[in-house]
Order: sequence, then structure tokens, then C-alpha cells
Amino acid sequence: VVTTSENGEPLPGVNVVQKGSSTGAVTDAKGAYTLKLNNAGNAVLTFSFIGYVTQEIPVKNQSVINSKLEPDTKSLSEVVVIGYGTAKKADVTGAVASFNAKTIDQRPILRVDQALVGQMAGVQVKQTSGALGKGFSIQVRGTGSITAGNEPLYVIDGFPLATARPNGSGNFATGNPLDNINPNDIESIQVLKDAAAAAIYGSRAANGVVLITTKRGQSGRPKVTLNTFTGYMERSRKLDMLSADEWVDRATEMINAQWVASAPNRTASQTNEQRRVILGLPVGQVNTTYMTDDRWAQPGHPGLRYLDWQDEAFRKGLTQNHQLSASGGNEFVKYYVSGNYVRQEGMVINTDYTAYSARANVEVNASKKLKLGLNIAPTYSVNNDPGVEGKDNILHQMVSFTPVQEDTMGVYPNVGNNGQYRWSVSPNSPIGKLQNTIGETKRFRTLTSTYADYQIIPGLNFRTTINLDNTDNASKSYTPYSVAGSYQTRLAQLTTLTSGSFSTYRKRTFVNENTLTYGKVFAEKHDVTLLAGLSYNSDKIESASLSSNGGYSSNAITTLNAANGVTGNTSEARNVLISYFGRVQYSYASKYLLSASIRRDGSSRFGANTRWGVFPSASVGWRVSEEAFMKAIPVVNDLKLRASWGTSGNYNIGDYSTIPTLGTYNYTFNGVAAVGQAPAGVTNPDLGWENSRTFDVGFDVSVLNNRISAAFDVYNKLNTNLLLNVPLPGATGFASYLSNAGSVRNTGWEIELNTRNTTGALKWNTSLNFSHNANKVVALAGGQDQILIPSSFDISHSILKIGQPLYSIYVVKQIGILSQQDIDNKAALYGSETVGDPKYFDANGDGVIDANDRVIVGRPTPKYMWGITNTLRYKGFDLTVLVQGQNGGSIYSLLGRALGRTGQGFTDNALGFYRDRWRSPSDPGAGVVGKAYSTFGRIKNTDWLYSSDYVRVRNITLGYDLGSLMKTKFVQGARIYVTAENFFGFDKYKGGFNPEASNTDLSGSSSYPEPGDYGGLPLPRSLVFGLNVTF
Amino acid sequence: CTSDLTQIPISQATTATFYTQTNDFLQASNAIYNDLRGYPDRQLNLSETRSDNLYAVSDGGVRDWEGINSFHKTIASNPYVSDAWSANYNGVYRANVLLDQLAKNGKVITDQSLKTRLEAEAKFLRAFFYFDLVRWFGKVPVIDKPATANEVLSIPRSPVEDVYKLIISDLQFANTNLPETYAAADKGRPTKFAAKAALALVYMTRSGKTYDIEGPGVGANEWGNALTLLNEIIASGKFSLQSSYTSVFSYTNENSAEVIFDIQYQTGLSPVVGGTFPWVLVPDTWFQSQGKAVQGGLTIRPVSTDLLNAYDAKDTRKAFTIQSGYVYNGVAETRSFFKKYVDLTKVPTNRVDWPINFIVFRYADMLMLKAECILRGASGTQADVDAIVNQLRTRAGLAATTNVTLTQLLKERRLEFAAEGSRWHDLVRFGVVDTVIPAWITAEDVQKVMQPFQKNYILYPVPQTELDVKQGLYVQNAGY
Repeated sequence: VVTTSENGEPLPGVNVVQKGSSTGAVTDAKGAYTLKLNNAGNAVLTFSFIGYVTQEIPVKNQSVINSKLEPDTKSLSEVVVIGYGTAKKADVTGAVASFNAKTIDQRPILRVDQALVGQMAGVQVKQTSGALGKGFSIQVRGTGSITAGNEPLYVIDGFPLATARPNGSGNFATGNPLDNINPNDIESIQVLKDAAAAAIYGSRAANGVVLITTKRGQSGRPKVTLNTFTGYMERSRKLDMLSADEWVDRATEMINAQWVASAPNRTASQTNEQRRVILGLPVGQVNTTYMTDDRWAQPGHPGLRYLDWQDEAFRKGLTQNHQLSASGGNEFVKYYVSGNYVRQEGMVINTDYTAYSARANVEVNASKKLKLGLNIAPTYSVNNDPGVEGKDNILHQMVSFTPVQEDTMGVYPNVGNNGQYRWSVSPNSPIGKLQNTIGETKRFRTLTSTYADYQIIPGLNFRTTINLDNTDNASKSYTPYSVAGSYQTRLAQLTTLTSGSFSTYRKRTFVNENTLTYGKVFAEKHDVTLLAGLSYNSDKIESASLSSNGGYSSNAITTLNAANGVTGNTSEARNVLISYFGRVQYSYASKYLLSASIRRDGSSRFGANTRWGVFPSASVGWRVSEEAFMKAIPVVNDLKLRASWGTSGNYNIGDYSTIPTLGTYNYTFNGVAAVGQAPAGVTNPDLGWENSRTFDVGFDVSVLNNRISAAFDVYNKLNTNLLLNVPLPGATGFASYLSNAGSVRNTGWEIELNTRNTTGALKWNTSLNFSHNANKVVALAGGQDQILIPSSFDISHSILKIGQPLYSIYVVKQIGILSQQDIDNKAALYGSETVGDPKYFDANGDGVIDANDRVIVGRPTPKYMWGITNTLRYKGFDLTVLVQGQNGGSIYSLLGRALGRTGQGFTDNALGFYRDRWRSPSDPGAGVVGKAYSTFGRIKNTDWLYSSDYVRVRNITLGYDLGSLMKTKFVQGARIYVTAENFFGFDKYKGGFNPEASNTDLSGSSSYPEPGDYGGLPLPRSLVFGLNVTF
Repeated sequence: CTSDLTQIPISQATTATFYTQTNDFLQASNAIYNDLRGYPDRQLNLSETRSDNLYAVSDGGVRDWEGINSFHKTIASNPYVSDAWSANYNGVYRANVLLDQLAKNGKVITDQSLKTRLEAEAKFLRAFFYFDLVRWFGKVPVIDKPATANEVLSIPRSPVEDVYKLIISDLQFANTNLPETYAAADKGRPTKFAAKAALALVYMTRSGKTYDIEGPGVGANEWGNALTLLNEIIASGKFSLQSSYTSVFSYTNENSAEVIFDIQYQTGLSPVVGGTFPWVLVPDTWFQSQGKAVQGGLTIRPVSTDLLNAYDAKDTRKAFTIQSGYVYNGVAETRSFFKKYVDLTKVPTNRVDWPINFIVFRYADMLMLKAECILRGASGTQADVDAIVNQLRTRAGLAATTNVTLTQLLKERRLEFAAEGSRWHDLVRFGVVDTVIPAWITAEDVQKVMQPFQKNYILYPVPQTELDVKQGLYVQNAGY
């Protein structure tokens, strides 16, 4: 019988194995087991169970062997998944961060990436969107690539998924690898951070590898688990914009100023009527540039509605999730099956997400030597989002929409039969758009792995797997004429203004992997594991898109059969990766550890001469605590020193980037199409792998009876031969070409610390991670020392410069407000600036402000990131608090610029900082924002620079174990909990909702992807009640 | 299965099998024409907007055209400016590729006259792009064959004379080898007369005043060369003035006898081969006031008071060219704008797909250029000049005049060609841009938002991205 040392209760599911053989058994519900031994006299039994210290007991001819397992909070004997295998955590010599996902289902988590926020040192998980069902962006140890993407490789149960990189807008246009993966099915997550750990994945490992393991069945009676939660979700913050009254104040000031400036002898005191006469307008006509609305000044502003658009569009949305799973098994079959339903209503009206997912993990022991398995996980999701985030989309328009409107139009200005308030901006009401536009994405994804594992001789196993990840995605959009164009246009054109589209893609990743592993312990001390393998990987994408042309014939049908015309096209692309790999792991008496791996990858993405890349790695470890001299220091339970070196690669470019292709450039002669074709760009047939080389030194330590354990790593990662779009002189006919040029270095350190602060009736554990990363450009193409990143909005505001962080923010510095004295002293001016306009720093001292005065003022990535989780348990209660944050980075916010730019017209609503603007020399305001009416234009400057520092209480969960209340035969455990996500936080981003938001392509150039915020939703704040029951 | 590592694009054509049949060469030629499509917008943004025809000061000073109109020093990153460089060089590249392939693989074209024509077309277009470049930027790198990145990185900006040398030699080849007419299916390709028109304008531009800057005028006295070419066009008898001014720009009268060379557009084809220039200078709210969808011209670029006042009350061209004020949503816009190319009955469903052709060289222009050459000393009489001017005045509903001077001729050109993108080039060529513009700013810029004019602003700055590619490769134009 196996029991736990804590309270002597039986432990079911413990693995009992005769050491050095394949003979074994699993304990039943009462902790009992029976085992038939060979050579019983010398046999040693190994008792292992996740979360407990593995115990070895020599048999010595006893027939009953009872074991008492010690719980292990920082389990050194824990087996961790590594690429193509597992290893004892104690033997791992690379930098690996682990996330025990067993507690995911004790928290309302809807995406796997969401669960990783703040959990692991050196792993930055950015929630770039507040929209539902969107992938997070994950960066392991900073950003090393300029063009070829910085997202890690995801491997689920050994199946390497296709890598995805966000597009220029920061969205995963053809899906994120973690889409539709049900987090409640996850057992554990490992992040391989350094090249030594990751290099076994060769060309795709430069950005780290995330290994995800799903739940499997354990032998024993079926265990049925119900997880369910429900609650609400809402915005976590509101953006400080001018109120309607403040908007009127600013508009009045600007209109008067425009009037006075427009011609001599015009004064602010002239009434609207006087102005109308001066302008020679007939009665009833106004000129909104020079005349205010008389009603603004009237008490109660009759006929007008003063609105807060944010309050109209946001809501509390209902969230619910229900999962039922069953697992169990016997000596022939182990299984885990689950079904999950989730439904979320977004924080913005008319947005929602529904997903259905199922999983079956089944493993069959066909014989003593042959194991067969199948993991299959079909999922289906429906997401409704009429296009909330991003430039000129609903959120951006909502915050900048004029907060004063005609009362008769309600919240629907410029919708249907409503015209536009004369002093208002011209878009259609954001509420009208939310209610009438369709933006529906349906995704059906099935992830399948089948495998066979055959033991050729004891210790030597052959394993083959066939994996298929198939996603079918269909997106439908529909914008009825009622929320398109202007009133006059709608009247004239009706449904010809209606537009719609339908697009689909099918993405398929096929992977076949074959490995031979041999593991043996020689002379009891030499533990050797060998691995050799080959793999075939193919990704294919087929897409089709249809869109309406010339409007619709109906205002009731939303599908394209009602379109007056349809245009469409299809396209396909494919790439193949073939790999050979091998690894040696050696440990001498668990004291001296060595691991080395090599992988050779060939990719169809590269030219014939440069197709193959070789990625070696090596790492060593020394478990100092195993040395005799350390045994004398009992306070140290474990101490391991590690060092590693390795190279890995990045091949995240287009599928055909080395092949010169033709583009279609048509013309017309006499009204007839003339097809034109010409080379689409400059191609480099010798394009090769982007290379990443990492040195890592670290140690793991555990002291005071394992009450304090820590891991520390220092690394230096150099990416060379970057897949970089090298700028070309326009005289070549092109702007850039893809080449291997330049290098980027990331250096940093990371600490993970776990402490058991109190262990009595009140158990208090703390887990802390803290990391620092700095990156800088080491070299660019052929002698260049800088590349200015183009901008879709005005002049460049970011730069790649040798010695500086990637995408450093490069703008003019605002240093105050111009006074008459400044002007008299010949302060440097930008264009026709006057008193009350911003004062800028003349960096080059030439007496004028222009683009040459830009200086580097910030870096987009944080310098420090940290997360701290405190868990308290007292009797049946448990309380978990996760606080997470970052420091040292900056945001250059184009949303901030849109809402608070110099020269901004009065119709847009403006950021709250305009409250304290400069109004006159005697009323200079806060000294930050210049006068409302300024005509000098604008230059990219620090007005729109914000710190990205934040501290956020991501999660507070309070649970209560009902186990003691409902101890029955059927119910093994039950827990209720309440969770508050994102309830508290602090950041310095006043120009937008979310410091990590990215939704808009700032560079407008695929050569230098620079996603940024132009209207991203706030993080959702949710309050959820949940129940976990195990039968 | 390592053979799977050789993948070829499924949905894109590759260059490997191109240039192997006659049709490939025709397609390669058509692709060069594709680079003409931005030309009209460019003339409106960089010539019309910079000139005294538009007082294009924008509300808050935030539109891209603000810096062009108001002589900002900081326009090296202006998208209109960078496009003028990159689009023309893309055209040069495609022409160079075709010429190179004609030399290497042209033997597959069995029709010798077609092969010669394709070469002459490519050279005409290459000269066309280079002429556009030299007028905006002065010195530009001369590249006359497909060049690698490294080669181009070692070619600095060539002297203006070298640029002209290539332009003139290309146009002379085109003049010799292009046909006089085309079959209907090929209407829109340049004829021999288009080459003559281009070459005449090149000679005249070269003959303009230097202003002590490097181009486009080099002080050459080639008015006579130009006149010869213009007379050949006139004498060919293939061209004539349309009876009314409006019919020249009619959507139903394209390829008329007044057109010597135009850039052609059509609507409803895929990929799009329609134009955007009709609305570039038209405010969005005007289209809305007419019940039409927003096109993309954004806010108004007002016609200058100076130009409005230059029209005689009887001039029929004014009402056709200029829209004076409108009311949208009860809000009055009292300023005027150019709507010359807009036919409200022809608004396409896709705003970038307008069908109207843009006339680059029209017969009226040839006549006026001839008058200009004569007044500059080429052979001819005052009576010839007066006759030309009166032909156009009569068509516009104005009384005849006599003893037309250069100043009057410039004014007549301004009225005839308003909104056609020629004003800035005319001011430069007539040698008066440095007097006319400062005077106009003083008179019209009551809001004091324009920067003072300098002669250096005759040329645009080399785009910042070009300077950044390799430090020191190109030297920026003076004044920027």
C-alpha cells in the first residue's frame, strides 16, 4: 500500500516499477498494488508519482512493501518533457522554464497563452488585444530578428506546429498556433529558452520552443472531472477624453480663433449672426469653421445630446465555460477524454466568442513491446467582431467621435435616415456600426497525432508519429448601406453602398517523425541516453476570397449571392522541411551531466546552395550537492551549476523568397485590358538561415529542506545573418531586398525563486520570477549604421541603429511651450510656430526644428519583467494572487497622436490632457499641451511617447475545498472559487487603453513590421465564480 | 523525399520561363506603361499644388500637400516626393529589363517591325520617366541597363547634362522608329509625334533659365530645335483642336484629334487599371453633397484667388474647370476647387477606378509651345503667335487680341491648362517662378502660413530614404 506522508491517506495512481526492468504496476484507489518480480532478491522498487519524491525500496525478499511518499513542492525527481523525450528535472542542463498547468482549471483561463502571463522568467507574454479569441504574442528572451518573426515554436505532445508570425498589424492573419487549444486539457508547459535546450528543433528554435503536454489517463478507476465557471467581463479601464462640455469649450475657442485669423477686423466677440452676415451666407446656412452652434451656450443645450461614447459601447458581458473530462485506464489502455464549451460576450456590445472543443488521448499497450496511441482534438469556434480594434475601426472612431450630437439622432448619427450633426466628425455612428456590421469568423481545427512505440530490445525504442493539424477558417463580413457613406450618398445610392466579403483558408501541417532512443545505465553510474531521428514536415495553405463589387441588390440578404457583382481569387503556397537530428545525454552518478545535440535542417524556402543548415549544441551540468563535501552542508539540498552553448535558426520568411517571381502590372489601351508582367523584386538565390547562437550559464539551488529553491541564468544571444530587408536605392527600381545581413545581440539574466514561507496550518508559498533583457543592433547591411523605419503616418519615428535597441523610438523632443520671450530669443521653431505652440529641442543646433532634430528617446521592449504569485492555504481555503509587471520600455502611440495631435481639428474629441492646455500667456495651463488652435502642422515628437511600465494584479482567486463537506463515495473532490482578473493595475499609458496593444501596421512596410496601437481594447476585467468537482 | 525541397511557387509566375515568346515581350512592355499610371496625380500634387494656382493650405496644416504648397523645408520624407523618385525609377527599371531582354532573347520575335517598335516604345518611356525625374530633382543617377544593387550603390547623381543626353538619344530613337499611327487596339501607345512632342518640350525645358541651380533649365538655346519638331507635328495634319473646350475632356470623346499622347485608364477591369487623378484635388464633402461616395481627396485644396481673378467673365473654361463653393449638410464651403476631370455620371463603384484618360500632350499645347519658341527667338512672326493664341481664346469664348507678349502667353497657358499639372513647370521654364511666386505669397497668404520662397525650391529634395540607403552616395539638393 502506498500512502502519503502528510496524513497517511492512500495514494492512487502511483507508478511502481522494478528498477531496470519494464515490470511495473499502478496503485488502485486504496493505494494498493501487486507486482510479480523477477529475481526478487536483488530487486529494487521505484515508487513515483507526480508531485511526490520518488522513493526506492530494496525488496530483500519481503512480500509486502509499503511506501510512504513525501510530497515534493519543488520536485527534483520531476520528469520534464524535453524535445523528443523526457528527462529528470535534476538532469536538465539547458535553460528550461516550467509551468505546471495542473492548476489551470482552478482559474478561469480561456487560452493557453493567457495562463503563461507572468509565470516564467524571460518569457514575455503580451496580451496585445482585448478582443475575444485573439492570440497573445510571446517572446522568449527578447527579440532577435528584425523581419523574420520572434514568436516561439509550439510543440504539442511532440507535434511541432507551424510557426506563425504576426503580420504588420500584430495580428495572426492565418491563425495563431494556440488558437482553439483548450487550456483545461493541458498538463504542463515547458519553455526551452537557450539554444542548448531548444537546438534539437534546429531551424525553428531561435525564438525558443514551447512544449505543451496534454493530460493523459492514469491506471485506475475512471476519474470524472467537471469544471465549470460563469461570470462577467468588462473593460478594465476607460480612456480619459474630454467630456462633452469640455469639447464645447475647446471647439468654441478654436472656432473663434479661426474666425479672428481669417481676415482683418474679425473679433471673437462677433456673434454667429454677425459672422453669417459678414460671410454673406443666406439665412439658415452656417460655416462651421467660423461659427459655433448657438445651442452650446444655451442652458441645457436644447436639442442636443451630450454623450460619452465609451459608456454607450462598453458593457458587462457574460462569460461561461463548462468542461467535463474522464480519464483512467488499465494495463492495456489509458485514456483521457474531454469536452468543453465556452461562450463569452465581449466587453463591447455585439462581440462574442463561442467554442466547442473535444479531446481524446488514448494509448494502447498492444503487447509488452508495442504501444500505440492516438491524440485527437477537434474544435470549432465562432467569433463575432465587426472590426473593433485598429486605425479607423470602431474603437478608434468611438473615442474620437464628437461627444455632442443632435438629440433627434440618439446614438445613431449618420446611420440610416439620420444625417450628420454639422459640427461633428463624419463617420457613421460607432454604435450603429457595432449593431449592423457582421464580422464573423468560424474556425474548425483538428489536431491529430498517432504514434507507435516499439521496444526493439530493452532500452532501445523506435517511435514513429504521424501528425496532422488542419484548420478550416471562414470569415464573413457584411456592411449594410445604413452604416456606410453619408446621408446624401445613402439616399442616392441605397444598397449599392452595401458591401460584403467571404474568405476562407485551409492550413495544413503534416509532420512525420521517426526516432530511435536508447537508454541504459552502465555500471550503475553511467547513465546514457541516445537519440537519433528524422522528420518530414510540410505546411500548406490554400486561401480563397470573394468580395462584393458594386453593392447588393437586397437589403435583407447578407450573403454574396445578393451582390451586384463579385470579385474573387484563390492562392496556394507550400513549404517542406526535412530534418535529421541526434542527441547524447550522459550523466555520471547524477553528478556530472553532459548533453549534446545536433540537427540538420533542409527547407524548401531557401535556394539550392543554401538549403541546408546545421545546428549543434552542447551543455554541461555539475550537481555540486551530490559531492561528498557538500553533504556536509545539509542546509543545501540541491545545487547544480549549468553552462550551455548552442546555435539554432529562423526560417520564418515567405515560402518562395529565393525564387524570382513576376508580378502582374496591367495597363489599358483604348479601353481594353493589356496584361503586363515584370519582375516583382530583387531576389537573392543564396538566401540562407538566420542564425542564433546562445551562451547560457546558470545554477539551480534548493536550500533549507527545499523551502527555498531558485534558478538563475545569464545569457548572451547573438543573432547573425538576419533575414533582413536591406534597403536599396530607388534607382534599382525597388525599395529593398531580402538578404542575410546584420546582427542583433540580446543579453540578460533571469531569476526564478520559489519559497515555502510557512508550512503549518497556514501554508504560504511564493513564486517569483524576474528577468532583464537588453537588445541592440550589432551590424546592419554593408556598412550602413542605421535604417530609418518607414512610417505609414508621416516621417519615420523609429530606427535601427548600431549600438541601439531594435526599433528605437526616434522623434523630436518637446520641451515646453513657446513663450513670447522664446520667440524674441530666436528659439528654434518648426515651420510657422507661434506663441503657445510646443517648444521643441533643437538637437542639431541649426536654429530650426525639423526631422534632423530627432533623437532616440526610448525602446519599445521593457528592460525588466517580473511576476509574483503568492498562494495561501488554510484549512479548506486557498488564495492565489498573481501580480505582474514590466519596466523600462516605451510606447510610441499613434492612437495618442490621433487623439491629441498639434493642429487637431475641433470636431474630433481629444485626450483629457487638453483640459490643461495653453490658453493665453496669462493662462498657460500645465505647460505640456499647447494651444488648441495651432496651424504649424505637426512633427513626430515626444507628445505621443508613453512609458510602457505597468503593474497589474492579473489574478486573485479565492477557493474553498468542499471535500470535507461532501465526502461521499462518488465525489472525490470539490472546490468552489471566485476569481477576479485584471481588477487592479497601474500604468502610464494615457494615449490608449492597453500598453501592450498592437493592432495597426505603423511602418506600412512588410520589410520592417512594426505593429502598434491605433485603437486597442483595454484588457478585460472579469469576475468569475467556478466549481471543480471530481467523481 | 529530399526532392520535395525543390518547390516552385504555385500561385506566382517565375522569371525562369519568361521572355521566351513574343507575347512575353508584349507583356513586359505593358508592364512599363503600368508605371505611367501615377503620373497625373504626381503633376497635380507636385506641380499644380506647388504653384500659384492653388492656395492649398490645409486645416491645421496636417495634410501631406501642406509642405508642398507652403514651401516647407522638411519635405524630403513627403510621400509625394518619394513617390516621384521611386515610381519613375521603377519604370526605368522595367524599360531597362525589356531593352536588355530584347538584346539577349529578342530573336524569338519574328516580326522585325514589332521588335523595333517595342524597343522604341521602351526608350520613349524611359526618356519620359527620366524627364519627369530631371524636372523634379535635377541631377539623378543615370542607369541605362538592369543593374545590380552593388552597381547602383556606386552610381552617384549624374550631372543634369548626362541625364538629358540619355533622354534626347532615347527620344531621337523613338522619333525615328515609332509608327505614325496605331491600329485601334493599340491606341494609347506613343506615336512618332508623341516622341516629337516630348523631345520639343525637353529642348524647351533645357533652354530655360538656370536660376543658378542644377536643372532643369540649363540655358541651352534650343528653341529652334523645338520649333522644328512642333512644326512637324502641326504639319502632319493628323491633329486638330476640338470645337469646344469641354469636349477635349469628355469621357465619350477619348483619343480625339487633339490628343497626341495620353495616359489611358479604364474602369471595371481586374486588376484595376482605372485612375484616381480626377478626384485628387476634389474635397470629399463635395462628392457627398452630390450623393456620391467619398473618393479620397480629403479636404479642399482651394483654387487661389489670383487664378480665380485671372479669368475673364466670358471665359467658358472657368466654369468647366472650377467648382465655386457648395453646401454640404447645411455647412457652406465658399472656396473653390478644380473639378475638371470629374463627370458625376461616371463615378465608378471603386473610387480608384475612374475611366478617363489623362492627356499629357495635346494639340493646343503644341500650338502654345510653338508660340513660346517664336517669342523666344525661333523663326516665326508675331502674327503667328497672335493667331495661335486667338485660336484658343476664340474657342474659350473670348475676344481676339494682338501683340501677345511672353507674359501674356504665360497667362493664356495658365487659363488653358489649369488643373492639368503644367503650371509649375511653365513658371520655371518661363524664368519667372522666382518673381511670380514671392509676389503671390505676399498678396494671398493673409494667414501667414507659407514659408518664404527660395530659388532652391524649384527642385524638390532627394527623398530621405534615398539619402539613408548609403551615407554620402547622394548629396542633397541645396536648400533642404
